[in-house]
Amino acid sequence: MKKIKKYLALMLVGVLGATTFLAGCSKEKKKEESNGPLHLTFYYPVNVGGDTAKIIEGLCAEFNEENPDIVVEPIYTGNYDDTVTKIQTAIQGGTPPDVFVNLATQRFTMADTGMAMPLDDLIASDEDGKEFIQDFLPGFMEDSYVDGKIYSIPFQRSTEIMYYNKELFKKAGLDPEKPPTTWDEMLEYAKKLTTDDCKGVGLALNSGSAQWTFTGFCLENSKDGKMLMSEDGKKVYFDTPENVEALQFWIDLQNKHKVMAEGIVQWTDLPTQFLAQEVAMIYHTTGNMANINSNAEFEFGTCFMPGNKQLGAATGGGNFFIANGISEERQQAAWKFIRFMTETERAAQWSLDTGYVPTRQSCFDTDIIKKYYEDVPQAKVAYEQIEYAKPELTTYNAAEIWRILNDNIQAAVVGDVSVEEALKNAQKEAEEVLAEYQ
Amino acid sequence: MYQRKVKKILITVMSILLAIVMLAPLIWLVGTAFSEPTFNMSFLPTTKFTLDNIKYVWEAIPFGKYYINTITLVVVTFCVQFITSTLAGYALAVLDFKGKTLIFAIIFMQIIIPNDVLITPNYMTLSDLGLIDTKLGIMLPFFGSALAIFLLRQHFKTVPKALAEAARLDGANTWQTIWRVYMPTAKPAYLSFAVISVSYHWNNYLWPLIVTNAPENRTLTVGLAIFAKSKEANMQWANVCAATFIIILPLLLAFFILQRQFMESFVGAGIK
Repeated sequence: MKKIKKYLALMLVGVLGATTFLAGCSKEKKKEESNGPLHLTFYYPVNVGGDTAKIIEGLCAEFNEENPDIVVEPIYTGNYDDTVTKIQTAIQGGTPPDVFVNLATQRFTMADTGMAMPLDDLIASDEDGKEFIQDFLPGFMEDSYVDGKIYSIPFQRSTEIMYYNKELFKKAGLDPEKPPTTWDEMLEYAKKLTTDDCKGVGLALNSGSAQWTFTGFCLENSKDGKMLMSEDGKKVYFDTPENVEALQFWIDLQNKHKVMAEGIVQWTDLPTQFLAQEVAMIYHTTGNMANINSNAEFEFGTCFMPGNKQLGAATGGGNFFIANGISEERQQAAWKFIRFMTETERAAQWSLDTGYVPTRQSCFDTDIIKKYYEDVPQAKVAYEQIEYAKPELTTYNAAEIWRILNDNIQAAVVGDVSVEEALKNAQKEAEEVLAEYQ
Repeated sequence: MYQRKVKKILITVMSILLAIVMLAPLIWLVGTAFSEPTFNMSFLPTTKFTLDNIKYVWEAIPFGKYYINTITLVVVTFCVQFITSTLAGYALAVLDFKGKTLIFAIIFMQIIIPNDVLITPNYMTLSDLGLIDTKLGIMLPFFGSALAIFLLRQHFKTVPKALAEAARLDGANTWQTIWRVYMPTAKPAYLSFAVISVSYHWNNYLWPLIVTNAPENRTLTVGLAIFAKSKEANMQWANVCAATFIIILPLLLAFFILQRQFMESFVGAGIK
């Protein structure tokens, strides 16, 4: 008995000693680093496939070569949700990243919780900072602001457009060069396109996608461009008559007109169904252009999301943020890195490699993009539509508000509640969540 | 006699059906991983056989490095758990000391707490110790396992005291008693815990992702996530399946080889 106690005590002392030693070691290591080049930690999520990680690593290596006094360490952080978790944990653990990419819609949360800092001073101190910001497409830049301050810089951005099957159009007696431009036309076409083994139109209604498409439809159905939320991110307007009408339109496509598959079609399945000619028109991200272009065994066209009272679509995707509370030297280095990554030529190439929409006006004057639009004219629609696009639904505590809206839309889709009731419930639940920010 | 025969046939048919259901995803996965990518989803591959998916995935991500990391992680974690849990299980089952019930209750409570809740506190502790972004950092929180301690304690309790006393009379000290008497009887418990521990740490994703930064310290699951979590545009099933195949292969092989021992140990340890 006594012997065991002695052993245990010895072991405990040993473990304690070892950990203290290790802790000491690593702290010394950190000190050493501060004499050399400045090390920046850069968190990035990957949402469009394996090549993206390699491209980012390559870009960082290029940056490090150009700037011997800065070393950017790119760190892959899963998808957008994982990235938020990792940033939060790292900040609480006292090892925050310096610069990171995250959803533009997370900006209110980022500002509110003090994870990201406003970039206005950095922009002001940059000689051509103002021109730099003005060069971004307004449709993308719009969701960088919190309380009038810029918190993020557009990077991997997308928008939703309509893809349609030209051959099925011909078969149904429709002009393949005249895609639908209004809801009524879209419905009329969809009716003509629907056959026993092909649906006229397809929308993804799963959580995480429904709110995106819904933002676009609500924008199309509002006269004055009123959105699902207020600009300051503190209010939502889910249950307006216009929005009820928009959601009712979706449900009617499924149940009344039977031109859309019933139930909830997944975002990732929709392009596959389109390619297999099981659906003639789909609403999907511009990011799918490369996939559809290389796999479609038929002629396909793209067009704006058909409007109703006006044209509209939602933008989405990720922006650059700089972490709050890092030293000024680090802020400057992080800003330099953001400028590097969003440089015109580089942004153009990035969009070509990944399928995201080029973020800057000047990108469209580059040979890279000009040539691309010549080769794939369908891709140009995205750029032209940005003029009518607005940021997707975002508020404080965006993740929770998204969940509420998605849950209630789905409840209406599966027929548990009426459309009106669903959006009323969503409004009520969202107001409760947002109460603390008023 | 007739009834028993019918029963037997029914059971056989049911288990074959069940086996097919369980096997189906695996067949689809292997088929998709080794055939040319297609947008037409089908259960059995309809396109030509190819190794390109595997090659592409293997080259896109440093899987070789990740393999070594995951294996190191799994093996070291299990070895340490083996020692700590044996000692703790023995103490709680055999020795008498003050506060034994309380200690057991505290350890037992840990089984109820999900690991994801502990991510932030564990991270903060590791940050204080300077162990962020190290392999030791990934493993350290798992060096003690409440489940293993519980399993072993229950097994050690079933060993008759007389057996241990007989060993002592023959001149065995405490270590020898544990080694020669207690541990052999708990073999099924060790085996079934090994399966749980290895598969848990092999598949763990969020914790290694959060606690590590450098590719040198990352694990297979983080490599898989680059493909499996890329669903903003469309799912690249061929790549996802190829990456999954690379990751599950060693465990799959181990399972086929050691199948009988696993089954026996699970029956023996009372875990199903």
